[in-house]
Amino acid sequence: MKTLELTIDDKPVTVEEGTSVFDAARLHGIAIPVLCHAQNERPIGVCRVCTVDCGDKVLQASCVRPAENGMKVFTASDKVKKHRRMILELLLSDHPSPCARQRVSGDCELETQAAAEGIVAPRFSKRVSPRGQDDSSLVISVDHEACILCDRCIRGCDEIRQNNVLGRGGKGYNAGIAFDLNRPMGNSSCVSCGECMVSCPTGALTNKSVVRTVLPGGDPVGVEELKTLPFFQKVSGTFLDLNKNAVIRRHFKAGEVICREGDYGSTAFYILEGEVEVFLSSMSSKKETAKEAPSLFEMFAHVFSPKKKPGSPAQNGGNIPIDSVVDLSLDNPVARLGQGDIFGEMTCMNLYPRSATVRAKTDCVMLEMLRNVLDVIQRNKTLRAEIEKNYRKRALEDHLRTVSVFSSLSPEFIENLSRRVELVRYSRGEVLCRQGETARYFFLVRIGFVKMVEEHAGGDLVLAYQGKGGHFGEIGLILRGTYAFTVTALDNVEVVRIDAEAFQEMLAGFPDIAFNLKKVATERELHNQRHSAAVSAMSLEKFLGQGLMEANSLLVIDLEKCTRCDQCVRACSDAHEGVTRLVREGLRFDKYLVPTSCRHCRDPLCMIGCPVGAIRRRNSLETVIEDWCVGCGLCARNCPFGNITMHAVPETGAPKAALAKRKATSCDLCQNLPEPSCVYACPHDAAKRVDPNDFFRDLISPSIDSGPFAAPDVPHGGRR
Amino acid sequence: MRIDQSHRPWAVATVSILLVALLAYIPYQLFYPGGPAGNTWPGLCYGVLGYGMMLFAGLLGARKRVPLWRIGRAQVWMRGHLWLGALSLPILLLHAGFRARGPLTLVLAILLTVVVLSGITGALLQHFIPKRMTQVVHLETIYEQIPHVREMLFEEAGAIVDSLCAVPANLPAVASHSTPAAVAVAEDSPSDLTEVQRANLLHVYRSGMVPFLRDPEGNRSSPLSSRAKASAWFDALRRQSPPSVHEALSDLESIFEEERQLIIQRKLYLLLHGWLLVHVPLSVTLLVLGGIHAFVAIHY
Repeated sequence: MKTLELTIDDKPVTVEEGTSVFDAARLHGIAIPVLCHAQNERPIGVCRVCTVDCGDKVLQASCVRPAENGMKVFTASDKVKKHRRMILELLLSDHPSPCARQRVSGDCELETQAAAEGIVAPRFSKRVSPRGQDDSSLVISVDHEACILCDRCIRGCDEIRQNNVLGRGGKGYNAGIAFDLNRPMGNSSCVSCGECMVSCPTGALTNKSVVRTVLPGGDPVGVEELKTLPFFQKVSGTFLDLNKNAVIRRHFKAGEVICREGDYGSTAFYILEGEVEVFLSSMSSKKETAKEAPSLFEMFAHVFSPKKKPGSPAQNGGNIPIDSVVDLSLDNPVARLGQGDIFGEMTCMNLYPRSATVRAKTDCVMLEMLRNVLDVIQRNKTLRAEIEKNYRKRALEDHLRTVSVFSSLSPEFIENLSRRVELVRYSRGEVLCRQGETARYFFLVRIGFVKMVEEHAGGDLVLAYQGKGGHFGEIGLILRGTYAFTVTALDNVEVVRIDAEAFQEMLAGFPDIAFNLKKVATERELHNQRHSAAVSAMSLEKFLGQGLMEANSLLVIDLEKCTRCDQCVRACSDAHEGVTRLVREGLRFDKYLVPTSCRHCRDPLCMIGCPVGAIRRRNSLETVIEDWCVGCGLCARNCPFGNITMHAVPETGAPKAALAKRKATSCDLCQNLPEPSCVYACPHDAAKRVDPNDFFRDLISPSIDSGPFAAPDVPHGGRR
Repeated sequence: MRIDQSHRPWAVATVSILLVALLAYIPYQLFYPGGPAGNTWPGLCYGVLGYGMMLFAGLLGARKRVPLWRIGRAQVWMRGHLWLGALSLPILLLHAGFRARGPLTLVLAILLTVVVLSGITGALLQHFIPKRMTQVVHLETIYEQIPHVREMLFEEAGAIVDSLCAVPANLPAVASHSTPAAVAVAEDSPSDLTEVQRANLLHVYRSGMVPFLRDPEGNRSSPLSSRAKASAWFDALRRQSPPSVHEALSDLESIFEEERQLIIQRKLYLLLHGWLLVHVPLSVTLLVLGGIHAFVAIHY
C-alpha cells in the first residue's frame, strides 16, 4: 500500500493512501472535534465541526477529506477555531440546552464541545417553529428538537443494523429524522434494537430505561445469560443492558399460583422450564345472582317488549378467550402451557386485568418481563415469526372455534387456513380497515380492543367495540364489496387476518358457514341502519369524546342535586393532608358534572413511562401513586384528562437530603376507607363513583355490548 | 337537597311519629288535670323529644366540619336534619300545649317557627335552584373563582380588540397584554379594519364593553346585559366591519355571553345559600335559648 507523508499542526505524519485527514490526525494523537462521524460509521461530513485548514481555498471537513502527499494541515489555527466556533453556535441555536442527555448523564457531545469552546449561549435566535417530540415508542424517546441532523442514527439503522427504518423527512426548517414514511416511532417497523440511540451524539434519541424498577421476588438475569436463551438471542444487547431490571427469573413450586384472574399487573411470563395450567377459578363458583322481583310495570313492559337473555358462552362459542396462546374450553376450562410458551401479553401490553389464573403444574422456572421488553420481542421479526408459528400450531383452531359461525370448520380446512392467515399488530389509533375501501380481509381480534365507526358527514357514529373473539369484515366480503365501517385500534391490538381468497374458499367449501356468516352480515347491516336512525349521536359522541368509556371508576356529580357546597372538595382535602385531589370543575355529560378527579382508566396512559414505577396498580383497579414518586410530572402530562396534579412537598429531614420537591397526586379512591370521602361527605346525594358504561347506559343507548356486534359473553379478565 | 322518591322512608317515619304524637295528645288534652302544659310529664316528654330533634338537626353543622368521621353518611344526616327539624315544630307545639306562657317561651316559639320556615324555604330553594342553574348556566365555574374568571375575560376582550386595531401602544384604556393567553390572541388575530373602523371599534369598546366588563352587575342598563340586545349590538358591529374580523367579533360576543352567565350564576348562588344567613344564626340562638329554657324549667 502506498504511503503518504504530510504534516498536521506542524507534526510530520505518515499514513496509508486513502486515509482521511481526520483518521490521520487521530492515528497520531491529534484530536479533531466532530459530531456527525463515528468510528463505526461511514463518514459523510454534514456537521462540518471537524473543519480543518488543508491549504485549500476553503476549509475542509477532515472526516471526508482524503490525506495527500505533502499536505499541510492545521486543525486549531485561529481561522479554523473561528469557523468551528461559528458552526457550534449555529448548531446550538437549534438545540435545547441542556437536552435530555445532558441533563441525565452530562455527555451531550454538542453541548460538551460547545462548552469546551467557551460558548455559553449562541448569539443566534432559536427557531420559531418547534419540531416536537415523539414519545410513542416504549423503549426510545425521540426529541426532534435536540436533533442536529448528523445522520448517525440513520447510518446506524440502515448500514450497521440494516433495518432500513430510519431516514430523512421534510425539507428546510422541517427537515428531521423519520421512521418509515414519517410515522410515530412506536407505530413504525422499528425493532427497537437501540442502535440509533447509541449512535446519537445528543439527547435526540434517549433510552426510556425503567430505572430503579425491580420486579420483586425474582433473581436478576444478566445480559450474557439472557443472550444464551433462544428467545432473547435476537434482542439488542444494548437494549438489554439499558434495561437490566426489566427481566427477572422466577421459580415456582408445583401448585403455586403464578397470577390470578382479575388481578392487575404489567408483566408477561415466558416459560423456561416446567408446565403450568391455566384456568378460570370463577367458573367453578359461578352462580346466578338472585334478581329483585320485577315490578308490575316491568312485567307489563315485558309482555309487550320481551327482552331475550344474553347468550350464554355455550351459545356463543365453545371456548373462552384468555390472555394466552391458547383459549380455554368451556366444558373443561383448563389449558396447559409448557416450555417456550408466553402468557400475559395483553395484561402486559394494555394493562388489562389478568384474564385467567395460572398455576404451576410442575416445578417451573420462568422469566417475567416488563412491557418494554415484550414490545421489543414482539417487534423482532424472527421472534415474531416464532410466536406466529406457535399460534398457528396451537391456538388458531381454538380461536376460530370461539366464533360460533366457525364452529363447524373441519380440521383439514383449519390446517389449510393456518398457512394462509397472518397475525398483524396495530398500535392505538391505527386504522385496521376504512369505510368504503375494497374489502380484502376478514379480521378476528386476538388481543386488545377495536372501535367500529360509521363515518357520516355530520360526524362519526360508533357502532360497537370488539375485544378478543370479535370479528369483522364479512359485510364487505359478502354483501357490499367494500368495508361498511372504519375500524380503529383502541389500544395495542393483534388480529388474525384472513385474505379474501381464503375467505371465499371457506364460504364455497362450507355452505353452513357461508349461510351463518351471511346471516350475521345481514343482521349487522340492518343493525347499522337502525342504529344510525335511532341512536342519539350527540350523546354518544360526547360520551366517547370525553373519554368516559375509558373510565373504570368515574366521579360524577348530579348537578340537579348539587348545591355547590363544596363539601366533597373539603372532605377530599381533609383526607389527604390538605391537598385535594378533586376540583369541582370539568366537562358536563347530560346533567352530570365529571369533575377533575382520577377516572382509574381501563388503559391508564399515566402509567406509561414512569421512571420509577411509582404510578401503578396494586391488585385492584385503583391507580395509585406510591410514596417514591420522584415528581418528574410525566404522569400528569400523560393524563389526557388533567386529573393528576403536581404539588409541592415540604422538605423535611436532613437539609442536604436529596428530597423530591414536587409529587404527583391523584385520587386513590380513599383506599384505606370503605368509601371515597367525597361521596361519603356529600350531604345531597349528588356525588357518586360509578362505572360509566353502566351508569350512562340509558343515555348512550344500545351501542355498547349489545346487538349483533356483541363479543362472546365470556368473562374477560374478571371484569365486564 | 332534592326531595325525591328516596325520601319516602323518612317522610313515612316523620308522618308516623307525628300521628302517634297527635294521637297521644288527644287523651292528654282531654283528661290530664290542668290541661296540657310544658311542665307536666307528658309535656316534658314532648319537650325532650322535640329538643332532641332540634339538637340532631343542629348537629348537621358540626357533622360537616368532620367529613372524615365515619359516623353515618352526610346525606343521612341531611335527611334527618330536614325531616326531624321540620317535625320538631309540631312536637314542641304539643309540648307547650299551643300556648306561650312567658316572654322566653314566646321568643322560642317565634324563633322555632322562623327557623323551620326558613329551613323549608331553603329546602325548596335547594330543590329547584340547582336544576335551574344547570339549565341556564352552561359555563359555570367555581363561585370563588368568578372574580378571577372575570379578570381573564376582561384581558381576553382587550387582547382581541388590540389585535383588531393592531396598535396596542396607542390603547391606554385597553386591558394589558401581560398574560401569555392574551398575547397569543393578539398575535394570532387578523386586523383588516380601516382607520375609521378602528376608531369606531375602540370607541364602542371603551364606552360600551369596558364599563360592562369592569362592573357587569352594576351595568344592567347596558345592551350587553341582555343576550338578545347584545346579539343585535354585535350584528350592527359586524355590518360595519369586513368579514375577516367577524370571527374575532364572535369571540368577543361569547365573552359577554360568559359574563352574563356569571351574573346569573352569582345571583342563583346567592339565592341558593343566602337563606342560611337567616337560618343558621337563628338556629344557634334557638338551641342556646332552648337549652336555657330547659335548664330554668327543670331547675326551678
